Amino acid sequence: MTTYFLRRFLLIIPTFFGITLITFMILQFVPGGPLEMEIMKIRMGGRGNTGESGSTTGGTTQNIPQTAIDELKKFYGFDKPIHERYMIWITNLLKFDLGRSYVYGEPVWDVIKSRFPVSIYFGLIGFLLTYLICVPLGVYKAVKNGSLFDFISSALVFIGYSIPGFAFGALMLVLFGGGSFWDVFPLGGFRSEDWESMSFFGKITDQVHHTILPVASYLIGSFATLTILTKNSVIENLSQDYIRTAYSKGLSEKRVIFGHALRNSLIPIATGLGHAVSLVLAGSLLIERVFNINGIGLLGYESIVQRDYPVTMGILVISSLLLLLGNIISDMIYAFVDPRIRFK
Amino acid sequence: MSEKTDNEKSTKVSASIFKKRWRKFKTLKRGYYSFIAIVVLFTLSFILPLFIGRDALIVNYNGNYHFPIFKYYSAESFGQNLQGEANYRMLKQQFKEEEKGNWVLMPVYPFGPNENLLSEMDGNPPHPPSAQHWAGTDDRGRDVFARLAYGFNIGLSFSIIVTFFAYFIGVSIGATLGFFGGRVDFFGLRLIEVWSTLPFLYVIIIISSIIQPNFILLVFILMMFGWIGISYYIRGEFYREKARDYVSAAVSMGAKNKTIIFKHVLPNSLTPVISYAPFAIVANIFSLVSLDFLGFGLPPPTPSWGQLMQQGLSNIENWWLIATPLMALFLTLLSITFIGEAIREAFDPKVYSRLR
Repeated sequence: MTTYFLRRFLLIIPTFFGITLITFMILQFVPGGPLEMEIMKIRMGGRGNTGESGSTTGGTTQNIPQTAIDELKKFYGFDKPIHERYMIWITNLLKFDLGRSYVYGEPVWDVIKSRFPVSIYFGLIGFLLTYLICVPLGVYKAVKNGSLFDFISSALVFIGYSIPGFAFGALMLVLFGGGSFWDVFPLGGFRSEDWESMSFFGKITDQVHHTILPVASYLIGSFATLTILTKNSVIENLSQDYIRTAYSKGLSEKRVIFGHALRNSLIPIATGLGHAVSLVLAGSLLIERVFNINGIGLLGYESIVQRDYPVTMGILVISSLLLLLGNIISDMIYAFVDPRIRFK
Repeated sequence: MSEKTDNEKSTKVSASIFKKRWRKFKTLKRGYYSFIAIVVLFTLSFILPLFIGRDALIVNYNGNYHFPIFKYYSAESFGQNLQGEANYRMLKQQFKEEEKGNWVLMPVYPFGPNENLLSEMDGNPPHPPSAQHWAGTDDRGRDVFARLAYGFNIGLSFSIIVTFFAYFIGVSIGATLGFFGGRVDFFGLRLIEVWSTLPFLYVIIIISSIIQPNFILLVFILMMFGWIGISYYIRGEFYREKARDYVSAAVSMGAKNKTIIFKHVLPNSLTPVISYAPFAIVANIFSLVSLDFLGFGLPPPTPSWGQLMQQGLSNIENWWLIATPLMALFLTLLSITFIGEAIREAFDPKVYSRLR
């Protein structure tokens, strides 16, 4: 088994190269790259026009001297062919250097790191609440299978599943954001602007105030999968022979369910825990956009729109590594909680 | 539990299985009624101009019948004092006032999805819902209800097409890897791993920034990313099935690979993925709405729910811009989810009996 996981870890390497290479190449083909944008900015600035730059560049660049363009090219590293650029990038990566953001002018790692608190905050709350609500609910539904409670909660869970989180969030903002109905919650943001100057309790209240709607949006769609998974797993176990044995030797229903059925039912649920490592990068672009939260999703989106490639690649590197790692950890947990599982 | 369906003898075994499942499906009311509702609505949505649209169905002008729904008529051809195409709502009014026996038969809901109604309405758009405009108008003065209805057809067609092609690719690749195994499987799996780790939203945003996406391109992109889960699943099924005795029997009888794959293994491994299809359709509708919401979806002026929501978010005082598309989306997704749940139950051979 150790060999199996060792091989899995080693296989991360080629996969990782594949991912970065593909993305690196795709990014090169996008028009309006950082170079064109810079040239555009200079040209616009030269004419005293600071309007929004369009997406198409093209046209003439005659009012910029060739030497300046060459210098810019050198600055962005575009004077070298693509494979060389990739090699440079990957060598730097191996030295844990993700480069510098074109937009922020800071090291990419610092830019990404600054968004971690927001991601971890929402990611962790969402993660904990999902598990704390879904697992007991699923167990209870399984025990009461076919009852009115089961029917109603299933309907509710599926209703939640049918509402996209971001749309739900937008509706909540319309209802409670003070547009035309009630002014209960702030319109977005992670905290109030004067958060730093608040009292201790003020800080907490403000944070909670800003948290409720986004967390609700994150959660609304995530109940269905885990609840139904738990329920089906428990039901399947309850129909097994060992449960019959447990009943027949006179155990109480409580003992049978919690002592016997539940432990086995949690196996498929435990395997999902591996992806908890991705929490540091948690954050849906859609929900962050709705609530105006400066999280990782928005950072990735902006980095593409603004052609801030070092940041795009940096997020990709971290997220894909975490994903690959999460896959392996999930399998390890699986093997750990279920000794019957043998990976070859 | 089940009825005595097992006793029924039928020469065609596959038909009987399907019939059994269909019968089970019909007993699951929530899913069955959702299924009927979606099928009826989706069918009707292909002849939507008959019910919702700006073009008159029939115009009787000076004793002659015209069918503007099929043909373009300029305003002058009906004696209307306008530039360009005739406005049939105004024409109806005009004919009524003239009382010359001319008449216009309009669709039940006489507004088109891409039609600017500013010239006929007071005030600034977006207009709130009213008896005339059931869901108000959007920020360009277009009727929201008409856009929702046309958006239903586009969204559902889109996701059904994407699901179909994604399934085709996923099943083909999964079957190849699972059946041949070994080196094919190893390298194939690495490629899939690379592909599945690519952030799909990023790629779409990048591609959209190069070319303006259209229906076909978006179908293509979503299809390229939608097959991965299915291929994993089919691969697993093939691994399991090919170890079974009936496959060994087929091999020993000298069956070709082709026969084994298509006649023996595939039918046995397809059922679970097919029962999963409604959920895939839900996911694809969801993707399209998200992309439209972000502005990377279908090109304007395509009627789209996501685009309406985006408008709603930038004008949060106009609640109907977000509430009505959300309602439409919700009802559609909920019905399809119910269908999926019922299909899954109907296809699931496991019957749990609980002892206590």
